[in-house]
Amino acid sequence: MAEHPTINQQSDAPDEAPPTGPRRILIAFYLVFAVAATARGVVQIATKFDQAPLAYTLSLISGIVYIAAAVGLITERRWSRPLAWAAVGTEMVGVIVIGLLSILDSTAFPHDTVWSRFGAGYGYVPIILPVLGSMWLWHTRPGARRDD
Amino acid sequence: MPRGPRGVVGDDRPVIPVFGYVILAAGLLLAVWTGIQAARRRPTTDAQMVGAIVVEVALLVQVVIALVQIVGGHQLSEPVTFVAYSIGVPLALPLGFYLAREERTRWGSLCLCFTAVVVAVMVLRLLQLWQAPVG
Repeated sequence: MAEHPTINQQSDAPDEAPPTGPRRILIAFYLVFAVAATARGVVQIATKFDQAPLAYTLSLISGIVYIAAAVGLITERRWSRPLAWAAVGTEMVGVIVIGLLSILDSTAFPHDTVWSRFGAGYGYVPIILPVLGSMWLWHTRPGARRDD
Repeated sequence: MPRGPRGVVGDDRPVIPVFGYVILAAGLLLAVWTGIQAARRRPTTDAQMVGAIVVEVALLVQVVIALVQIVGGHQLSEPVTFVAYSIGVPLALPLGFYLAREERTRWGSLCLCFTAVVVAVMVLRLLQLWQAPVG
């Protein structure tokens, strides 16, 4: 589908170029969640680690996973895509496992991580994000047919 | 501003909440504006970029006022969380701004839209933390 021609004189990236756009919005999402989850984990561990060591450690781990995904998406090295795949996969498993645990065993598992209740506290973005991430990685995989 | 004899929580310091709600509304407005732009498959306009800068400046002013009041003795139930949010909230819009400048397509507009939503949510959380009863 042909995009409208941009009249903007500043436009240096034609719309027919490889789709960097979806990647940029993914980078925005992952960076925001990297900061949010990491900061949350650090604050929780620093102020009240004794209350729920497992949940707060998980907060920090989820933050690190988001950082890894962001790095994998931003960089374009040989290890970038494997890193992004690994991070997105970990994220998918994490949000499903923690989401299920937090619902099935809600008394033992405090609702205190980004992934609790499938990320309901964050507008369910945490469970949508790995889906979008893997879709983008799949669509842009090396050697994929470009039929758009 | 009516001043109760004992004062409800926040009564003696109305500046932050009112200003906060203004920024919250401005963030949502920016999100809707850039969201429509993204739906129309257009890159952001100069006016939207200026709007993002205005919201960001207002945010920084609010954060400075809040931190000054905390140093001046304002009590919070979760001071560490509040300070972490205060540091984090001004980071979002520069990210959206940068991506919207780099990406002169609808995806750039969507980036700015998303970060504006993040600002609105974080300001709401800041307001909750500011007004939460101490103890």
